[in-house]
Amino acid sequence: MRLLLIEDYRPLRESLAKGLREASFAVDSTGDGQEGLWYARGNDYDVIILDLMLPGMDGLRILKKVRAEGRQSHVLILTAKDTLDDRVAGLDLGADDYMVKPFAFRELLARVRALVRRSYRTKNPHIEVQDLRIDLANQRVWRGSEEIGLTPREYALLEYLAMRAGQVVSRTDIWEHVYEFNSSASSNVVDVYIGYLRKKIERPDQAPVINTVRGRGYTLGAEP
Amino acid sequence: MTSLRTRLLAGTVGGMLLLLAVLSLIVYVTIRRALFEQLDAGLEAAAHLFAASIEQDANDVELGIEPEFQDARHETYYQLWGADETVMAKSPLLDSNDLWRIADGVDSPAFANSRAEDGRLLRAIGLRFTPRAADNDGEPPRKTNLKALSLTVARDATELRGQLRFLRWLLLTASAAVTALSLLIAAVVVRHGLLPLNAIAAQIGAIRANDLTARVDATRIPAEIAPIQDRLNDLLSRIEASFQRERRFTADVAHELRTPLAGLRSTIEVTLVRARERQEYQTVLSDCLEIVQNMQAMVSNLLMLARLDTRQIVLRRDRILLADLVDACWRPFCERAEQRQITFESTIPGDLTCLCDPDNLSMVVSNLLANASEYTNDGGGIWAAAHPADGHVELTISNTGCSLSKEQISQVFDCFWRGDSSRKDAGVHCGLGLALVQRLVTALGGSVVAELQAGGLFVVRINIGGCSTDLH
Repeated sequence: MRLLLIEDYRPLRESLAKGLREASFAVDSTGDGQEGLWYARGNDYDVIILDLMLPGMDGLRILKKVRAEGRQSHVLILTAKDTLDDRVAGLDLGADDYMVKPFAFRELLARVRALVRRSYRTKNPHIEVQDLRIDLANQRVWRGSEEIGLTPREYALLEYLAMRAGQVVSRTDIWEHVYEFNSSASSNVVDVYIGYLRKKIERPDQAPVINTVRGRGYTLGAEP
Repeated sequence: MTSLRTRLLAGTVGGMLLLLAVLSLIVYVTIRRALFEQLDAGLEAAAHLFAASIEQDANDVELGIEPEFQDARHETYYQLWGADETVMAKSPLLDSNDLWRIADGVDSPAFANSRAEDGRLLRAIGLRFTPRAADNDGEPPRKTNLKALSLTVARDATELRGQLRFLRWLLLTASAAVTALSLLIAAVVVRHGLLPLNAIAAQIGAIRANDLTARVDATRIPAEIAPIQDRLNDLLSRIEASFQRERRFTADVAHELRTPLAGLRSTIEVTLVRARERQEYQTVLSDCLEIVQNMQAMVSNLLMLARLDTRQIVLRRDRILLADLVDACWRPFCERAEQRQITFESTIPGDLTCLCDPDNLSMVVSNLLANASEYTNDGGGIWAAAHPADGHVELTISNTGCSLSKEQISQVFDCFWRGDSSRKDAGVHCGLGLALVQRLVTALGGSVVAELQAGGLFVVRINIGGCSTDLH
């Protein structure tokens, strides 16, 4: 899942980006309001984590513009402003969640995961495709009764496919939701990672979980 | 504690009591005198009547006693003494008792009170007179051997005394009753009169610290209390404004501390998610240390502001070489300015000195240079200049790259104010620097102004008042 983090306090921005990446999220981050708006316009982010007091452009103005342009990214406001008026203003301008600094990182992660599930209309934090089980909260994967160890990137890829299980997912979609903006990966990196993933989760004696739809992309589970 | 009610009651009732006493005394004395005058007039008339009824010739005194003196119902007694003080006649009503002889001037009768032997109170008149000569059948009276006689006529005064006693009792009782009644009325009136005070007290009592918008209601407040109500409402307004400032300041402080706290917590929590390499822990710890140092600087600034507000700082007065002080203050910013190609130039004369507190003046200059290096555009410039003016030193720090409007310039000395909320390094500078500069300069006895000049030049001009300059 791909996140945009707009936060001007460098230590917070860097530690959050690091923690979120370690939790298998693709994170683009910036400390400037104008630049943040530019990022938000250029990509279809699953969640935007937005500070309010920003140089360049105020967080609420960014939110207003993003919503006015019809962008559907979920927005979580992360700010030191804690008054009732601030919360109401933020939520009424189209934010989906509001967190006040300082906060527990685990809670932020849980809220971001909840927003991601809402993005894909999945309420259940456990996804099952054939006998493949994915625990979204703890990022663990089982095939039958056997647990499979995945790298963060592999997990992110599988999670995205699982969120859209039964749908055909294009390489561009995968690229946009699993890789960061300044990722140096080449264009066939998606195919390479699909290969890694298949090696780990497919069983030769069973029907494949990840199917290739020629010319269109991939699908997790049966093709529609 | 002095009670207004007690004082008002004591005043009115005491005054009333005094008036009543004086009035009663006047009434009593007047009536008493009138009664005695009446009695005395009767006595005098009786005495003269008695005297007129006495004739004497050369050898004898002839009494033609009026029936009044014989009749017990009249209770008029008499006793007559001759010139040799022998009793010549006395009232048969006296039996064996005697009246006393009041021997005074011939023409002015004298009065006296006495108690009879049976206990009755008597009022008596004494008269010395010479009875007229007996009419000796047409012969002219011979005046040669006529003798002066002494007469005492007395009447029972018990009744009059009784009347006076009754009058005293009446006056006392009436006074007591009037006093009691006036006490009652005054209590009610005072109570009613002081009701607005109780109402105000109740209104003030209802004001809570968390809602200072309440004011004392002006309706039905007497004119005497209106000024108190006005002052009270003024005071409430001032307290409310002060509380609001305090709350805003506290909220700002909390807000400014939250961001670095969030950074600290997030950095630590993310690091603790899994086991890390030794090198990574070291990096994280030095990041945390930097955050803590910034927070410490902010807290120090806040403490300094609080101390300045409560005048808790001690000022020294040393002679300072201004150019050296400014150069020393610039040193910490030098490296970063070079990286951003910002030029710094000081045109302060090397021999310009001033008499000031070196630590606090350093803090002022450091804060100004920190602010300047923070907001100067990359490749811009910062200038420091100073010159003596009217025995003061005017120090100017200016920098390019100011994007504030003229209106915003007036706010730069407010706590936690930042132009455009555009902090370049959030959490490090929290809008306290210039606020501290202003309060420090004021504490040093000087003044500071900020202005915007053409080309985005931000100029802060400090006049260090009370300092002498010495060009040598």
